[in-house]
Amino acid sequence: MTIIFSGLALGAIYALVAIGYNIVFLSQKTFNFAQATLMMFGAFLAYLGIAVWGLPWWLVGIGAAIIVGLIAALEERVAVRPVKDMHNLLVTTLGASFVIEGVAQLIWGGEPHAVPFFLGNKPLEIAGGAVLPVEIAIVVVVVLLVVALTQFSKRSMVGIALLGMSEDREAAVLRGVNVRRFAFLAFVATGMIAGFLGVIVGPKTYAVATLGASLALKGFVVLAIGGFGSMWGVLVGGAIVGLAEAIAGRYWGADYAAITVFAILVIILMIKPTGLFTRRKERTV
Amino acid sequence: MHRKKLAASVAALAVATLTFAGCSGNSTSPETSKPSEGGSSSSEPIKVVVFGGVSAEGILANNAATSITAAKASVASVNAAGGIDGRQVEIEVIDDTGDPTVAVTKLKELLASGDKPVAVMNSGPSTVADAMIPILTQNKILSFNIGPTATSADPAQSPYNFDLSPSANDYIKAFVPTMEDKGYEDVAILHGSSAYGELFGKGTSEIFGESGFTVVGNEGYDVAALDMTAQLEALKSKNPDVLVLDAYGAPLGYVLQGIEKLGWDIPIMGNTSVSATTLIATEPPTGVLGTDQVKNLTMQVFTSTKFDKNDAAVNDGVKHMVEAGDIKTSLILAYNLDAMWLVKAAAEKEGSLDAEALVKGITDAQVQKDAGTILIKNYGFTPEKHSPSLGTDEFLFISPGPLVNGQFQ
Repeated sequence: MTIIFSGLALGAIYALVAIGYNIVFLSQKTFNFAQATLMMFGAFLAYLGIAVWGLPWWLVGIGAAIIVGLIAALEERVAVRPVKDMHNLLVTTLGASFVIEGVAQLIWGGEPHAVPFFLGNKPLEIAGGAVLPVEIAIVVVVVLLVVALTQFSKRSMVGIALLGMSEDREAAVLRGVNVRRFAFLAFVATGMIAGFLGVIVGPKTYAVATLGASLALKGFVVLAIGGFGSMWGVLVGGAIVGLAEAIAGRYWGADYAAITVFAILVIILMIKPTGLFTRRKERTV
Repeated sequence: MHRKKLAASVAALAVATLTFAGCSGNSTSPETSKPSEGGSSSSEPIKVVVFGGVSAEGILANNAATSITAAKASVASVNAAGGIDGRQVEIEVIDDTGDPTVAVTKLKELLASGDKPVAVMNSGPSTVADAMIPILTQNKILSFNIGPTATSADPAQSPYNFDLSPSANDYIKAFVPTMEDKGYEDVAILHGSSAYGELFGKGTSEIFGESGFTVVGNEGYDVAALDMTAQLEALKSKNPDVLVLDAYGAPLGYVLQGIEKLGWDIPIMGNTSVSATTLIATEPPTGVLGTDQVKNLTMQVFTSTKFDKNDAAVNDGVKHMVEAGDIKTSLILAYNLDAMWLVKAAAEKEGSLDAEALVKGITDAQVQKDAGTILIKNYGFTPEKHSPSLGTDEFLFISPGPLVNGQFQ
């Protein structure tokens, strides 16, 4: 059971990154490859606020959400909005990721820093397996986040507008949706979520500048398995990737962990090219 | 037509410029330039140069800072002891950003200036050493290197270079006496997927096996992974007596976190990568020093990396380092601290600063013993092998403690 818990927690971290990718994808039909780096920055702010300054975790979470939200806003203005060709966003958001990582290294260096978890770090015994409180928290938070965002997109005007934008941008404009503004707000929201999540991701991963690189690719794999645009797909994709990595690592060795994950990705995409939870769209030619 | 003429003129100008530049380079080429030693009776300062990634990224910059500080301290302490043959030593620091291309460009600029140094201390990773050593060899310049390459310790290919960092096998062999003393029989190994980690994983299996231990498990982990519970559980199932660990940076944290999560009460012997990670030397809430995660951990260090108030030579070296600059990591990376002592002993024995004479002196066992090196007492260089052959007495296995001026307290 310990391996199952580890896999689920790992998958949940990847899923948190994938949620950020998804929100930007829904609003702009593109990806923010700096999403994982924004989460890394959130982890450093959590380290600074909780471990160094001794502030309460919730206050640090709110502060980190605001700061990382501002960084995301800056990224949108500098690296996303001026780019006319959507394909070039791959380069500019990757560039933003390098800049954010470089700034983090300049400020905090290359060494890892511990981030205390507000519920403690003592392992718990559950169903015959060992699990850390922070691992339970990460899984619970990712599920709650997916439920909340799904409900938000169904029940609020903003959410419906975002879904409308993702379906047909021009139609949304014709219905009076300010797509530019909504896209900007969605981008900032992903930054705020990434910043806030630093208080629960940091205790598991440590605050370390290379965290973004570790998370970025796996987050993308989670999204591809679940299906671009699907929040529930993120949950399932995260669980598949995390469990595959943990179980393959346990029984076949570390060399097979990454191979297994990518083999599963290829098999799923061969069977269902849109990912598990996204339907193929038909159009008249 | 005008464009063609213009292009031809520009091309001609470029060729002429390059030709003159080439001539200019030739005028101070290694064949014609003299090392800054002057004559043997000269009182001019002796010039040495240290290359390091001052503006490299993250941890590389910290490592370079410590190496450069060690180089400066080496010069300062030799000067304080009267210099080399009565001549003072001057040091120049060159920032190679940890990039082999930059390092080669700056080295060529240095040589083209005609101010040929007596020795170069290369403080970067092996990629930088790989690029620089052939040029240093071609120019017959003595060099010291902390990032060994496949050929850097082979006098047939790099006759003027000495690796200051011991080989992976020297580090691994030093585990054996302690493991025997503790009575361990069944050994589990966990190592990273880095080049050194793979070397460590392979070397430990071989050397421990040859030394009579049973290697019950040898697991690797991806250095980009965020959780090592799977590998640890696989090793735990083999019920070893000790876990020998290679981990550096955040992966060390994940390993310790995983061991605590599994409730695995096993002695852990970490290599120098473990002791080079500041996480274990920092108390909570920002580190893990003093927590249950490190209660079973001992780690490999040089004897000089553990503070000993009675070791006057090391304490004097550390004093010079503190005066010279920042010590941002443990003294494990302060090999350069010894470089000038080796040069001094060799030059004074041979009566020359010529590279070949210095090499002859440095490979003399008596010279090495008399050199008064600080970080490592006796390097064991030979004319056939320019890498250290260290005795196990150069190493200690210690519990983590606070790191002050590069030394564990």
